[in-house]
Amino acid sequence: MAAVLEPYIYEGGIHQHTLITELLEDLGGYLIQKVPAATEVTLVMLIPRDDVHLIEELGKKLLGKLERAPLTGTEIAVVSPTLASHHLPHSACDVAEFMRRGGANTNMIGLARGMGRRVSLSDNYERKLINEHDIALFSFGTFADCIKNKKPKLLEGVTVPKIVAGGPKNIKTEEVENADLYVGGIGRVAHRLRKPGELSSLDVLLEKVVEVVEKMREDLAKDPLAVLPPRVMKEIHEQIPEIFNVLSPAPVTLQLDGLRVKLPYDEFHERVENLEFDEGVRLSDIALITKSRMKNYILVKIKRESEVGFTA
Amino acid sequence: MEPLETFIVESTVPEEGDAYKSIVADIITELVLGGAIGRIKVRVRPEDSLFLMAIVLRDSQPTVKVYDMGSVDVTNHLTKEVTISIEQEKYLPELLEQLWARYGRAGVRQPERKTLIMTVEDLDTEVDLLRNLVVADPQKTLQSRLVEMAIRATPEGFRVRYHSMDKHVFVFAATEDILKKEWIQEAQDIATELQEDE
Repeated sequence: MAAVLEPYIYEGGIHQHTLITELLEDLGGYLIQKVPAATEVTLVMLIPRDDVHLIEELGKKLLGKLERAPLTGTEIAVVSPTLASHHLPHSACDVAEFMRRGGANTNMIGLARGMGRRVSLSDNYERKLINEHDIALFSFGTFADCIKNKKPKLLEGVTVPKIVAGGPKNIKTEEVENADLYVGGIGRVAHRLRKPGELSSLDVLLEKVVEVVEKMREDLAKDPLAVLPPRVMKEIHEQIPEIFNVLSPAPVTLQLDGLRVKLPYDEFHERVENLEFDEGVRLSDIALITKSRMKNYILVKIKRESEVGFTA
Repeated sequence: MEPLETFIVESTVPEEGDAYKSIVADIITELVLGGAIGRIKVRVRPEDSLFLMAIVLRDSQPTVKVYDMGSVDVTNHLTKEVTISIEQEKYLPELLEQLWARYGRAGVRQPERKTLIMTVEDLDTEVDLLRNLVVADPQKTLQSRLVEMAIRATPEGFRVRYHSMDKHVFVFAATEDILKKEWIQEAQDIATELQEDE
């Protein structure tokens, strides 16, 4: 049985940060994302639970900061009704930013025809794209009437957990049809969210999203995945070196039950399918590999233990 | 009339009106309309998909000339150099545009942000001309900024719009359904009501 992994974000200077990644590798943890920014670096990683203190001590020595990031390894779709200035960049982008601080990878999705009340629509392609994520977070506006009566049709056909963020604070989750959770206080604004009330609403949202993710992880633990997504990531790094030429900030994006590999499908899907594990299985035996609706990427959804019969 | 003497945003639910007021306030700030608007009243009825707005503008703002922005002096009689020292750089891009058109890009030296040096033929007439050069006319761009503001402030998707500009009164209505006559009338009534406050 593999060690229990805990998600953490390390923020510190770029100088000697490789000591951390080396230690992490020795401990059997996984480096999920590395974001260097000038002289600073942010490392998103999974650390074996018993060894967290080792990384923490080393981090302290390097004058860095280690923080728990409960959303690590999730990919969240932040959906706004359109990409117009009415909904973006404020509120929706701030919501995404807070999710990223929790460790998540976020994708902003603006619907083509989501604006308005009677006329708002979502497209089949859009719904399928949203369904590729772990969670869909809808960023709606100021009016309770719209959120309760008109906008819920945008949630139809989305099968992943749907969280709705809107302005009014007195709406209950049950009043928003199809939604799994409603969080108020984050409606349409035309400035960056930085006032105390707004920031605390974002904190509440992050807390609630973490609760949903923890619940999803629990459900997943009842019938675990045949292989952990970070392990697949590590194998991709070792067996498909072309991944290092990808310029996207997260060339391999982890999800709760799979991963998105940002390589062109036609050229690389066979190599991903034939990814070999020490146990002698190939990835196509234990996962479903399809073309992602996002660009031309490869989407890997890992099968459950009950389906495959073993865990790698 | 003081700037933003009246600023009311009404909605069916009062708290939502307050939230919407902050949006409108942000947009007014962004488009630098604060000084131009005297009174504004917005009415939103989400259940009717209706957005109404009436604005009473303040007296027209004067045009901005170079001497409003800084000083124009002859700094070198021998080489015939004229220097403009900018104090308010708000309209600097517009000024540069005009100077470049007149003297050419190479003819306008800018050793640092707030100093512009030109070499001219006839010192006296040129200095006079430069001092009185009209750099910007806020009134000219006002209407387009008002329409921009109305479009930004409208809830998205309300694409059936009506607007009228009569001297200093701007009336705007938007919906996503067919715009009813009584709604336009309601917007006109709000405007009349605003003017009566005087």
